[in-house]
Amino acid sequence: MSSPIICQLLIKRFRSIRSLIWYPANGLNIILGGGDVGKTTILDAISLVLSPVNITTLSDAEYLGRNVLDGFSITAVLFLPPGSGIDDQVSPSWPWAWNGKERSVPTADGPRGETIDPVYCVRVSGTPDLELSYEILQPDGNSSPLPVAIRRAIGLVRLSGDDRNDRDLRLVQGSALDRLISDKGLRSRLASELADVGVKEHLKEEARTALDELDVSFMSQGLPSNLDLAVTGGQGISIAALIGLTANRDGIQLPLSSWGAGTRRISALAIAAQNQGDTPITVIDEIERGLEPYRQHALVSKLEAGKSQAFVTTHSPFALQAANNASLWYVDHTGAIGSLDAPKIRGHLHRDPEAFLSFLTVVCEGTTECGFVNALLMRALSTTTKQYGIHVSDGGGQESALDLIEALASGGARFAAFADNEDGKHPERWKKVEEKLGPLLFRWTSGCVEQNIIAELEDEKLELLVIDPSEERTGMRLRTLAERLGLQQKDFCSIRAEVKAGIRQLIIEAAIGAVPESKRAAEKSEQKVFKSHARHWFKTPEGSRELEQKMFALGVWPKLKSQLLPFCNAVRNAVGLQEVQDLS
Amino acid sequence: MNDEAVREALHSDARLVIIEAPAGCGKTHQGAEYARQVGGATKGRLLILTHTHAACSMFADRTKGVGSRLEIRTIDSVIGQVAAAYHSGLGIPSNPAVWARQHNDGHAKLAVKVVTLLKNYPMITATLARRYPVVVCDEHQDSSGDQHAFAVAMLEQGSKLRIFADPMQNIFKKDNIEGVCAPYDWEELKGEADRFATLDVPHRWRNGCPELGEWTLRVREALKSGGKVNLKEGLPRSVIVVIAENAAQRNLEYRITGSHRKPVDNFESAQSSLLVLTRYNDTARSLRAFFNRRIQLWEGHTRGALENLTDAVASANGDPGDLAAAVVEFLGKVGKGFSRSGFGDRLEQEAREGCARDCRGKPATLQELARFIVSEPNHHGISKLLRRLFELKNDDATFREIEMDCHREFWDAVAIGGFASMEDGLAEITRRRTYSRPKPSDKAISIIHKAKGLECDSAIVIPCDARTFKDTKESRCLLYVAISRARRRLMLVVSRDAPSPLLVLP
Repeated sequence: MSSPIICQLLIKRFRSIRSLIWYPANGLNIILGGGDVGKTTILDAISLVLSPVNITTLSDAEYLGRNVLDGFSITAVLFLPPGSGIDDQVSPSWPWAWNGKERSVPTADGPRGETIDPVYCVRVSGTPDLELSYEILQPDGNSSPLPVAIRRAIGLVRLSGDDRNDRDLRLVQGSALDRLISDKGLRSRLASELADVGVKEHLKEEARTALDELDVSFMSQGLPSNLDLAVTGGQGISIAALIGLTANRDGIQLPLSSWGAGTRRISALAIAAQNQGDTPITVIDEIERGLEPYRQHALVSKLEAGKSQAFVTTHSPFALQAANNASLWYVDHTGAIGSLDAPKIRGHLHRDPEAFLSFLTVVCEGTTECGFVNALLMRALSTTTKQYGIHVSDGGGQESALDLIEALASGGARFAAFADNEDGKHPERWKKVEEKLGPLLFRWTSGCVEQNIIAELEDEKLELLVIDPSEERTGMRLRTLAERLGLQQKDFCSIRAEVKAGIRQLIIEAAIGAVPESKRAAEKSEQKVFKSHARHWFKTPEGSRELEQKMFALGVWPKLKSQLLPFCNAVRNAVGLQEVQDLS
Repeated sequence: MNDEAVREALHSDARLVIIEAPAGCGKTHQGAEYARQVGGATKGRLLILTHTHAACSMFADRTKGVGSRLEIRTIDSVIGQVAAAYHSGLGIPSNPAVWARQHNDGHAKLAVKVVTLLKNYPMITATLARRYPVVVCDEHQDSSGDQHAFAVAMLEQGSKLRIFADPMQNIFKKDNIEGVCAPYDWEELKGEADRFATLDVPHRWRNGCPELGEWTLRVREALKSGGKVNLKEGLPRSVIVVIAENAAQRNLEYRITGSHRKPVDNFESAQSSLLVLTRYNDTARSLRAFFNRRIQLWEGHTRGALENLTDAVASANGDPGDLAAAVVEFLGKVGKGFSRSGFGDRLEQEAREGCARDCRGKPATLQELARFIVSEPNHHGISKLLRRLFELKNDDATFREIEMDCHREFWDAVAIGGFASMEDGLAEITRRRTYSRPKPSDKAISIIHKAKGLECDSAIVIPCDARTFKDTKESRCLLYVAISRARRRLMLVVSRDAPSPLLVLP
């Protein structure tokens, strides 16, 4: 490891966060979560504890509930590389032992086989006097001051969501540009140079007279006299801070801060990268800001490829889609942060990044469920699901859907799920998910959506089920039935005459694409023919919508209402709507 | 001849450089010169590890102006610093110096703990090695197995090691406690060195008596190879051998009678810079009397009696009788005349009885002293008692016989009364002494152990007899250390009745 890494972050009473403990990953950390849950506060906390400058003004809004008396604190357990300067301070700092979970004081007995990394524990506290105190907690129980030089060496790079902020493109003390230029004498040389600029010569006649009169008045009152005007710095206004990076645009040198937000942010990152040469901890709020999808993609890829630890928030599906090795985190509405188990959701992230960015995601097991649920929820909400920030997401089959649901559940994300119950696999895992989600999890007691609906259909309505309202697929559906019987005639009457009471089961098998008993040992290609039957029925977006409509039109709803309505109401609750008694 | 080779070895890129450094051959000069050149130039700090505060002060004098990138510390203090940083993990209190003092072989036990810690956690050693990329080990022959392991651990984590050692000055006994690393073997260590060189130019004597320097190197060679020091022939004129027999009755005391002591007295009075060197503490105090208390005892850096007093006060827990007993014990160690029978028993009795008896004369004066600790049964009371006792020694005929051998230690005990707690006071006084780096007066009596690292124009080694210098490795080293202190003149007081097996007498 050759770059600084935050192994653990502990926030107490900082802004809206009462208490948060987090173990960020190395590399890129993407923090997701709804609005106002504290994502930016976490980034601000990291920026504050590793701030490369001493911040002098502190507002009571930084304290939880504006209660300054109780103070706040941000503690970071840090791995620091040899070049960080930590071993070069006047008073030595000593490493703690880090086992991946906690820091401890090394003991005489040794680490007993555990893998141990050396870490330092740094803390910034907001005192009741509205002051910041930076310290290093030492293993001996004392703390020593955390020098700004070490924070500067860690070299935190920060791009805030604040559009107006271009400090990293200016020579503000501690900014990326300042650290890059790092010319210590510049300020004083500039100050003396600028002091010689004859401002007075540029004054108009009246202005000069006014200044002369003031001079006379000063003199008569015994005040300092011989007044002149010059460029001077002062409290809070440094001359150097007026110096910013400029670049050529169409033959004119323009301040870089006049470029677009995206360019400004990427420029600031480039300065920092040049500056450190190695690996600063990078903090970026709303990585998509000002960047087109392709630049978002490029930036995320760059952060993933780099060696440094980065913390990023985003609302952009493009940025998420670009993430291959990033660790994903979810901040829930209680302010707790949980890991979205990355390998389990990787595929889904690429297929459907919105699933991680919506107010409420409904994970459905497959295509049929997806369209069916979307239509059902539109009925339950009397409007589109998008209106309420609901995103219905295709889980891509039972196994991957369960993985995704588990990952979301352990990360504390806000979501619902809709699944089959075909072969009773993974009972324990489903039980845990159910405990976590309650009524937001819908699972058929057995079988899938097609089976459950067709089973409840009255005999005389079976033919209506076959008929596609758009007429496109009716013929194909009849053909799948005939094919299963080896029948030449492809009209409903002949088919029914052939199987008699078996017609319902035949329709179910065709709709779900079941492979007949007799063909189970057949060639894959032959089996595939039977499996593909499902596409002609309801296993398409249009087909699944049709199934939902037929559930109501063909009078099946009353029989399934007791199962499906609680789920619909749970979703209504989740988006802040009252429960309804029935759907129509 | 070899100075340039040594310099070249020190400045080489070799990780482990070992320099065999006989006394007075410019070891400190070479070390300090290296520190001056490297100290400002390298990244990180240069650490000089010594064993004594005297050596710290010597290096400090010779490296003035190098600045904060050079640290000169005793190895015990660096080990103590690591122990303090991880005290809770080691199961010791936050101030290991106090802990070390309160335990037998405390520093050695501390070193065992710290070396074990460093073995288990190379990351801590790595931190030290980054902080101190270059470490100069001074007087490395004095290192215990654990102190050596400490230095080697830093070497393994990337520090460059520059070891100066003289196996012939290995005079400090190595503690034998549980878990201790075995002392390193000199020949083996030499074998592991990337570079090895020997200093062999007797610089110390260049402005004194060069022949004495050459002779001292020959003495070293003889003692090192198991031979004897020939006092019969080949002596430079600056070496005077006096034959005199010890007439003292009591064990370890020393006295010469009549005309035998005349050459010694003449020699003593002719010198302006003199060390009287002897092996045992009791002999040293006896020599105070021998020279009519004209010559002060060199107390070195340690304050054993005061440390014992501090511990006794802590365990007395405010009991005036126990405190009085501790004071009597202390006075017996730092001076003479305040005997148990004459003073001590009565003082303790008065303290135990709360100064209730009606008395006059000497008992009344002792009662007055006891009252200090009865009314203030702590180190404040003790401090006042001692101060008053010193006044009485000058003003009161009864107390006139009392003599202080260890002045500094006595006055340190008085000074501790000015601190809120005795432990803090002791720590602070020790700290001040570390920084003020006291030196012996122009003429001083010292035991050989405390004289290591000192030098002066003239030295008397007394007595050189069968009891002091047996044929052991330790005695060979002690004799060599004693002989190599003098720059111009050396007097050896030898015995014909009980001759040392290390000497060939004239």
